[in-house]
Amino acid sequence: MDYKVDMRDVKFQLFEWLPTEKLLENEKFADWDRENVEMVLDEGLKIAQEVLAPTNEDGDRIGAQWKDGEVTLPDSFKPAYQTLCEGGWVGIINNPEYGGMGLPEVVGTAVNEFFFGANMSLSLTVLLTRGAGNMIEIFGTDDMRSIFVEKLYSGEWGGTMCLTEPQAGSDVGASKTKAVKQDDGTYLISGEKIFITAGNHDLVENIIHLVLARTPGAPAGTKGLSLFVVPKIWVNPDGSLGEPNDVYCAGIEEKMGIHGSPTTSMVFGQNEKCRGWLLGEELKGMRLMFYMMNAARIEVGLQGSSLGAASHQAAVAYAKERLQSRHWTKFKEKDAPQVPIIEHPDVRRVLTTSKAYAEATRALLMQTSYYIDMTHATGGEEKERYQSYVNVLTPICKAWASHWGVRVADMCLEVYGGYGYTQEYPAEQYLRDAKIACIYEGTNGIQALDFVARKLPLNGGKPIRELLGKAEATFNKLKGDSQLMEPAWMLGAALKTMDTITKELTKRPDGILITLLDAVPILDMVGTILGAHFLLDQAVVARDKLGAILADKGIDPEDEKTYMAFINDNAEAAFYHNKIQTAIHFAYRALPTVTAHAAAIRAGELAPMKVVM
Amino acid sequence: MKCIVCMTHVPDTASVIKIGADGKHIDESGIKWIVSPYDEYALEEALLLTESKGGEVTVVTYGPQRAEAGLRECLARGAHNAVHIVGGESTLGDSLAIAKVLAAALKDREHDVVLCGIKGVGTDNAQVGPMLAELLGLPHVSGVTKIEWSDASIVAHREVEGGYEVVESPLPAVITAQKGLNEPRYAALKGIMAAKRKPVEKLEVGALGLDESALAGVEATYSVRSLELPPAKEAGKIIQGEDDPKAAAAELVKLLADEAKVF
Repeated sequence: MDYKVDMRDVKFQLFEWLPTEKLLENEKFADWDRENVEMVLDEGLKIAQEVLAPTNEDGDRIGAQWKDGEVTLPDSFKPAYQTLCEGGWVGIINNPEYGGMGLPEVVGTAVNEFFFGANMSLSLTVLLTRGAGNMIEIFGTDDMRSIFVEKLYSGEWGGTMCLTEPQAGSDVGASKTKAVKQDDGTYLISGEKIFITAGNHDLVENIIHLVLARTPGAPAGTKGLSLFVVPKIWVNPDGSLGEPNDVYCAGIEEKMGIHGSPTTSMVFGQNEKCRGWLLGEELKGMRLMFYMMNAARIEVGLQGSSLGAASHQAAVAYAKERLQSRHWTKFKEKDAPQVPIIEHPDVRRVLTTSKAYAEATRALLMQTSYYIDMTHATGGEEKERYQSYVNVLTPICKAWASHWGVRVADMCLEVYGGYGYTQEYPAEQYLRDAKIACIYEGTNGIQALDFVARKLPLNGGKPIRELLGKAEATFNKLKGDSQLMEPAWMLGAALKTMDTITKELTKRPDGILITLLDAVPILDMVGTILGAHFLLDQAVVARDKLGAILADKGIDPEDEKTYMAFINDNAEAAFYHNKIQTAIHFAYRALPTVTAHAAAIRAGELAPMKVVM
Repeated sequence: MKCIVCMTHVPDTASVIKIGADGKHIDESGIKWIVSPYDEYALEEALLLTESKGGEVTVVTYGPQRAEAGLRECLARGAHNAVHIVGGESTLGDSLAIAKVLAAALKDREHDVVLCGIKGVGTDNAQVGPMLAELLGLPHVSGVTKIEWSDASIVAHREVEGGYEVVESPLPAVITAQKGLNEPRYAALKGIMAAKRKPVEKLEVGALGLDESALAGVEATYSVRSLELPPAKEAGKIIQGEDDPKAAAAELVKLLADEAKVF
C-alpha cells in the first residue's frame, strides 16, 4: 500500500507557521536545528513509505492471530518494527538520559503523522510503549527507572495501559482488579482487563503493563484506584528476566479495523502468582493514568488526522488517473473524451474539503504539541499558561481531529466510486482503521463532556478565552482585507455566536441539561473556529510568500490568465496559492456549521430527551 | 581500512523534470536533491566494511553548495568524515573533468579502497569510477553486486550481460557499486544528531592545482548542445477480441510488426 503525505505542508506548518526554529534554540534542544530536523522528517517519511506502508495490508488481511494465549503479528511487522527501534524512533521525543532522542513534541507529532498514516496498527504499539516508559520515568522509583525506561524507549520491550474491565468501560471507577501488598513490598495482582491494546504479541520479549487496580479497603470509584507496573515476564533487580509473571492473554477481539493491532483480554494472576510494583502512591492511580491518557489522547487525535490526510492524498492520486465522463464544459458534446475525474466540480469540492480538514486538524495537533514544548521550555506563570492551553485543547485534539479524520476518510472513499468500497484500494482500510480513534482513549462523547464540564470553566474560563482570543485577533487582522475579508467576517460571526451561547448557557435554568445534550456540538463549534483561525492565519503567511515569488518572477496577480499559467507551472507558488484557497473554502463550508449548531442550542431543543426509545 | 566514498548529489528520481531556460540544463527550481541511489550502496558497503574490520569512511563530493546536504546525510548514516570540493556547475556531466577533480583530491589522501556508485542518477554516464581509477593508477572493478573482503585483496562479483563475472583484485582499488550489493540502511536519529557536529572539509578546485574554467573550457571533453524531454507517451491501443479472437490476434501481430516493429 502506498503512503503519501503533503510533506510541503508539514514543513510549512512546522517552520513557516509555527516558530519551531526559535524553539530549537532552547538549550534543551541543543542537538537539533532546522537542518537536521528536516533530515529527521525526510528519513521518517522514507521509513513510513518504504518500511511501514508496505506492511499495512498484511496488518489488515493477516492481522493479529491468537493461539493458546500467545499472539502473533504478521511476519512483515517484525523487520518493520526493528527498523523503528534501531533508528531510535520509538523514543523520538523522550529523555536522552534514558536513550530517548530528545526531539520536541511538535517534531514528534510531524513524524508520527507519517507513521500512523503508513501503518496505524504497528505504530499504535509504539505509542503505548513510549507512553508507559514516560510514566515510569516520571512516577517510578530510581530502581524502576533504571530497569524499565530505556528498554521501553528503545522499543526492546513493549508497554500497555490497562484500564477497561467488562463492567468498567467509560466508568473506570467500577474496576474490580485487586492488588494486595506483600511482605517484600510488591503487590499480588488479580483480575481481568479487556480491550488492552498490544497486551500480548511477538514483536518484543517482554511487555510492561500499567494496571489500574484496587487495594484492600480502598474507597469506591476512581479514588480507590492505584497504578501498578506489571511485567509479562518478571524482571530481576539487575534487569535480567525471571519467570513468567502469571499474565495470560485470554483472547483478542475481532474488530472493524486495525486488525494488525491485537486488542487483548488479559487475565492477571489466574494462578495467584502475578506480581506488580506500585507506581507512585496508593489511591493516586487515576491521577497518574490521566497523565498517560492525556498524552495518548493527543496522539489518538493525530491518528484520525493522519489517516484523513493519507486518505486525501490517495484519493487525489486516484482522481488524477481515473477517466470518467466528459468535461463539464463539454457535457453536450457526445464525442468529447472522458477526462480525469479531478476535472469534475463535485470531485474538486470534495477533495478541497478533505484537504481543508486534513490541514486544519494537522494545524491543531501541531499547535498543541508546540504548546506542550513551551510548557517544558518556560517556567512560572508562562509555563502554567501553556499548560492550561494544552489542557483545554487535549479533548479537542482527540475528538475533533478523530471525528473529522473519519469524515475525511469517508468522503475520500466516495471519490473512487465502487472501487473505493473494494479492497483493491486503500480507502476502505483507512476508513475502518480510523474509526477506532473516535472511540478509544475515552469516546468522543466523553471527550466532549470533559471539554464542557472541566475544560471550558478551567481557571474561570481564562484559557479558552485566550485561545479564542487568538482567533479574534485573526478576525481583526483580516476584517478589512480585500481577499480574505469575507472568510474573516464569517470567523468573526462564529466567535460572536460562541460567545453568546456560552453566556446564555450559564444563565438558563436548563443550562446544565442542554450543555450535556450538546457537548459534542459545542466541542465541534470550538474545533471549527480554531480550525478556521489556523487556516486563515496560515493563509496570511502563504500570501506573503506567494507575493514575494510573484514579485521576483514579475507576475501580475491581477492578470488572471498569466497568473494561473504561472501557478500551474510552479509547484512552490501553487502550494501557497492553495493554502489561501483552502482557508477560504473552510471558512465558507465549515464555519456556518457553528451557527447551525448554535440555533438548536439557543432554541433549547430537547427532543432527544422527550423521544421514547 | 580507510574507505573513501565518492558521492554525487542528484535530483530525486521522483522529481518532475523541466528543461531550463537555456535549453541545456534542467530547471533546478523546486527540485529535491538526494544522494544518488547507487552511491548509497557504495556508502553502505564502506560502513559494513569498517564496522567489521575497523577503520573510517570519508565521503567526498564535487558539487555546488547544496551538495553539503548530501554529505550530511552520509554522515548521518555513519560516515566519519566528509570532504566537499565546491563547484561542478560548469563541469556537470563531463565525467573526465569530474574524475580529474576527484583524483586530485584523493591522490594524497590515504585510502585502502575507493567506492563509487556505478553511475550518477540523471546523467547516467557510468564513467567517473573507471576514469578515477585510471587517474589514480589503481585497478577498478565496476558494477559490483557482491564483495568478499580480505586484508589486501577482494573477490568481487560484477554484472555482465547474461550473468556475472567473479574478479579478484588487489587493494587499493576503485569499486563501483551496482544495485543488489547490499541494502542501504536508514539513518538513525542518533546518527542525524551526530552529523551536525561532524566536520565537513571544504576545498576549492583551485586549491587542488586545477583550473575549473579550463576544465569546463579548453580541456572539456563533453558539451551539451540541447536537452529535450522524451516525447509524451501516446495512449495505448486496446484491441477488442471478445467477438472474434482470431481476428484480434491477427490484428495484434500486424500492429506489433508494422507499428511497434517488434519483429
